[in-house]
Amino acid sequence: MPKSLFIDPDEVRKSGFVKFKDIPVNQYSKSIEEEKENFATEDFIRIYRDMAIIREFESMLLDIKTKGEYNGIAYNNPGPAHLSIGQEASAVGQAYLLDKNDCIFGSHRSHGEILAKGLSCIEKLDDDTLYDVMKNYMGGRILGIVEDKQKSVKEIAIDFLIYGALSEIFARETGFNKGLGGSMHAFFTDFGIYPNNAIVGGSATIAMGGALYKKVNQKDGVVISNIGDGSLGCGPVWEALNMASMDQFTQLWEEGYKGGLPIIFNFFNNFYGMGGQTLGETMGYQVLARVGAGINPDQMHSERVDGNNPLAVIDAMRRKIEIIKQNKGPVLMDTIVYRVTGHSPSDASSYRTKEEIDKWIENDVLNEYSHKLIGAKVADEGKFEEIRERVRELITKTVKLAIDDNISPRMDITKAPDAIESLMFSNQKVEKMQEGTPNVLMPLEENPRVQQIARKVRFAFDEKGKPVSKNRVYQLRDGLFEAIIHRFYTDPTLVAYGEDNRDWGGAFAVYRGLTESLPYHRFFNSPISEAAIVGSAVGYAMSGGRALVELMYCDFIGRAGDEVFNQLSKWQSMSAGVLKMPVVLRVSIGSKYGAQHSQDWTSMIAHIPGLKCVFPVTPYDAKGLMNAALAGTDPVVFFESQRIYDVGEQFHEGGVPEGYYEIPIGEPDIKREGSDVTILTIGATLYRAVEAADILKEKYGLSAEVIDARSIVPFNYEKVIESVKKTGKIVIASDAVERGSHIRDLASNIAELAFDYLDAPPVCVGARNWITPAYELEADFFPQADWIIDAIHQKIMPLPNHVPKNNFTEVEQIRRQKFGV
Amino acid sequence: MATPVIMPKQGQSVESCIITKWHKSVGDKVNVGDVLFSYETDKASFEEEAKVEGTMLAMFFEEGDDVECLLNVCVIGEEGEDFAQFDPNGESSSAQEEQETPKEEAKTPTEQTAPLAQPAETSDFVKISPRARNLAQRSGADIRYAQPTGPNGRIIERDIEAVISAGKMVTPAAMQEYAGMGSVVEGTGIGGRVTTADLSKAQVPAQGASLQPALDVPEYEEVRLSNIRKIIAKSMHASLANSAQLTLNSSFDATEILGYRRKLKEKAESLGLPNITLNDIIIYVVSRALVRHREINSHFLGESMKLFNTAHIGVACDTPRGLMVPTLFGADKRSLADIAVQSKALTSACKDGSISPDLLTGGTFTITNLGTLGVETFTPVLNPPQSGILGVGGLVERTKDGVPYKAMGLSLTFDHRALDGADAARFLQDVVNSLENFSLTLAM
Repeated sequence: MPKSLFIDPDEVRKSGFVKFKDIPVNQYSKSIEEEKENFATEDFIRIYRDMAIIREFESMLLDIKTKGEYNGIAYNNPGPAHLSIGQEASAVGQAYLLDKNDCIFGSHRSHGEILAKGLSCIEKLDDDTLYDVMKNYMGGRILGIVEDKQKSVKEIAIDFLIYGALSEIFARETGFNKGLGGSMHAFFTDFGIYPNNAIVGGSATIAMGGALYKKVNQKDGVVISNIGDGSLGCGPVWEALNMASMDQFTQLWEEGYKGGLPIIFNFFNNFYGMGGQTLGETMGYQVLARVGAGINPDQMHSERVDGNNPLAVIDAMRRKIEIIKQNKGPVLMDTIVYRVTGHSPSDASSYRTKEEIDKWIENDVLNEYSHKLIGAKVADEGKFEEIRERVRELITKTVKLAIDDNISPRMDITKAPDAIESLMFSNQKVEKMQEGTPNVLMPLEENPRVQQIARKVRFAFDEKGKPVSKNRVYQLRDGLFEAIIHRFYTDPTLVAYGEDNRDWGGAFAVYRGLTESLPYHRFFNSPISEAAIVGSAVGYAMSGGRALVELMYCDFIGRAGDEVFNQLSKWQSMSAGVLKMPVVLRVSIGSKYGAQHSQDWTSMIAHIPGLKCVFPVTPYDAKGLMNAALAGTDPVVFFESQRIYDVGEQFHEGGVPEGYYEIPIGEPDIKREGSDVTILTIGATLYRAVEAADILKEKYGLSAEVIDARSIVPFNYEKVIESVKKTGKIVIASDAVERGSHIRDLASNIAELAFDYLDAPPVCVGARNWITPAYELEADFFPQADWIIDAIHQKIMPLPNHVPKNNFTEVEQIRRQKFGV
Repeated sequence: MATPVIMPKQGQSVESCIITKWHKSVGDKVNVGDVLFSYETDKASFEEEAKVEGTMLAMFFEEGDDVECLLNVCVIGEEGEDFAQFDPNGESSSAQEEQETPKEEAKTPTEQTAPLAQPAETSDFVKISPRARNLAQRSGADIRYAQPTGPNGRIIERDIEAVISAGKMVTPAAMQEYAGMGSVVEGTGIGGRVTTADLSKAQVPAQGASLQPALDVPEYEEVRLSNIRKIIAKSMHASLANSAQLTLNSSFDATEILGYRRKLKEKAESLGLPNITLNDIIIYVVSRALVRHREINSHFLGESMKLFNTAHIGVACDTPRGLMVPTLFGADKRSLADIAVQSKALTSACKDGSISPDLLTGGTFTITNLGTLGVETFTPVLNPPQSGILGVGGLVERTKDGVPYKAMGLSLTFDHRALDGADAARFLQDVVNSLENFSLTLAM
């Protein structure tokens, strides 16, 4: 879209061929002798040790799952155990060169990766730093359990790593994430180990966001997305591959930021997606590395690597890290491995033969590697036996600690009822996520939009009470803009992106003027990839930045379902508060555009624990709530309505203040005081409620109190209950379809909280349980002022001489529900 | 004549009492004042004395029986008399009358003479919103009078508001009893709370009040209630749950008494007359009217009524210790000047706390005056067992045929168990006429 790029018909219509380069497949062929120049003896041995630790760790989990005991210690672990026995060489090979600045994001099968990465980090960190990390983590609780004055700091750190991971898997409060992550989600960011993810391919977009963070904030290190071959069946993974390869990184971004994202999409290719065989059955690429060729002209530097040989993987990683350092990412690796155990302990391997498994066991990665080392006289069998023995002792001791309820208790929700509750939101106010001067292109006061807004009238009516014209009035979109540009000039980490954000200024002109003030790396257009937009924001925020992303229409939440419902919402609490999630996700509810562009899905967001949800509908509220959202540390899904981007402030006395102010998230607002009936609205329905209030007053002499929910989660009922105590009657209205909508939730709570004060049940007026019809029919679909009055008349208090047009009778209610309409 | 003895009701909240001891057996001779039986509630024990003489004909309960209040316990009469009709276990027992449903009561002809709307038809299940129900309980509105206007026949708030403005009220009995006593009661309950036992103690009549005039006519005549009066009493009582009081509002042209008072003021000193207030004039007029309308100068006692031949007027009096109602005994026999002197003495004795407790009881009717506080009309609360209380409002400017005059509001609350609305209205009319034509009243 930028004007600097010219789509030249002469160029694009030329005939020719797309040329591909050869993609290397298992090209590593060095002998141990040749590698002796890269590895000292202790390095070779340590690689074996790390593989042995992973093998013993997972064999222990397998024993506990299948036999109920390990090494004579009985234990029952009801949680999951997705093991990677047989894949250890690839994990250790990948981690060998990585340090704490390199970040890995994993999958459900990542025990090996986190142990390998942790062991590599421990090897590289100096003792003081290492000790500080342990001492400062969760107040030194884990260190207190594993500390042994007889041992070196590195030995203690290994115990710390194994214990922290195992306690996490066993859901102990002493785990890395207090047991709230568990087997599929264990991580430890101080060692550069970022969340593993139980959703297949879930880490692709998040890791890409982590890489975006490193690039935008000029941080050292590479980011690795460790996902499986099965995840190439998932759309978001393709979105991540594509978004990481956007041309703009090399063509449009400024010097110092130019170049590809520092990310390696590493596919641990074990040839099965659970039981579906990716080679020959569910995929068509045959060789996974082929995929890189379709993504960008660099073919993502794609390569197949033999993950059964740790030295082959280290060799590949050395070359790939170099590519990243040259700003030539992203990279795709097809690291072939084979898991000899099932997908999980319940897997009967009905989809593969015993011969196949036996053949791979014959080529077991630990044996193959130790035999090579023995052959090259690096060490003898006794050395490896000794390592295995010590590892067995280590794991045995750790299991004993981790299953001891006194040493490693679980969360006691009875004693500490808020143990999980207090982790659902971080509820902090942080002006800037990192120190530094925000990178902007001009002083704020020179921004053309800022200058234009300065000329506007900040209240909807003039002194005589006449409406100010659309062109002169300060609109809702101006309120959003003021809050957003304020934060851009405050927090250097803030980035905003989404579809049609730059140049166009957002489809609804909220961002008009931002392009002039912000460089590409802070404000850019994304591909039409909702999953990648939200997922990358999750990764960006958990890495330490603040992101403002946008889904052009609320209806597109479906395209980002996992990223909103499972990722954005969950990581603060699943990390036990280690991670913050300062993401504001703007979602615009459409109008006039029919069934797939007009839906209010606030209810779906409200249903998901861990998301804050607001829906301001006046310029004053929009600015105040956006300020609060952008200064907070929690994920906020920020709903807007396309009906009212141009509305002026009609309620707040004095109009919209010029300076900075926040409206606390969670507080509804009384827009009009009244005494006879309360109307509580979510979203732009407010304006129709005000209209209804006018009619009630003029025609029926009733004084309606109109309350705007403003926030959906959290929500303070106090004001509403006070109002209901006064009026005894309440209608709750929104443009969401009525069935299963949040207004039903509000009604249910109000009925419980104010039962004795109610003169009638709380009545819900939502949209019909249909598709949204064409604009011309919308009055029959969305609640209108007369619907509210009819509902009052038929369900709360018959109004004298009122003739209803809409059917709110109980018979009709039952009929509609009966037929699901 | 066989006379049944009922289990007395010791306070509004008492449903039943346990007979702890019989002091008589069937066939025993009974004299007035003999203890018939001892009984107790969960809070106190009592003895029931014989009010008639004769022979114990029947005893319907045994020691230890928990007897519902107002049921017949025993019968006193002449040997051989039939007492079957008094047996509470028999068919025509008063217990069953007690349990008549309001719907049935609504069909009684006397109910139709009352200035009340019919209670709404009730079924077993009443649709009423929680808010409306709460309002009814708080205000004392009788929900059976509510006409449902909510959806699906639900009674909603506005329907109860309509009941309230129509005056269909049920007043919480204990509160009423306490408020109407007109004297300060020392609480003996937890935290100094006033208990029903305190209330009943305070109601014991005082003896030998110095201001009580010697009377040569019997002080009262006790008449048995006619059956119709009993039915009216019971149905009114049941229909309004705990009481049957309602208020009639009227006003009178105060021109004449204002003129009279102006004259008195000018001449009082020279004639050696005390300061005579408008309230004294009203006491004077009311005391004369009361003896002409004995049904309101009465005590309603459930099974009987005391119709007083003289007017002992309680004069409600606002004191630092709260409302007190000293009694101006024999007001109908006193001159206006005497009334003025006595009422002033009683009021100041109440205010400085020197009032004899004997002067705080024995009233047959009460006058309460809120006119000086700017109240025009209000709803006075009965002082049981009195059947009436007159509230006096302040002076208001009115015009009659274009001529301005001063009017004063009168609010008469009466016990519908004791008399009907028309009786009360006639009494009030008499008072109004007497006040408007005060010079003629003086001549009578």
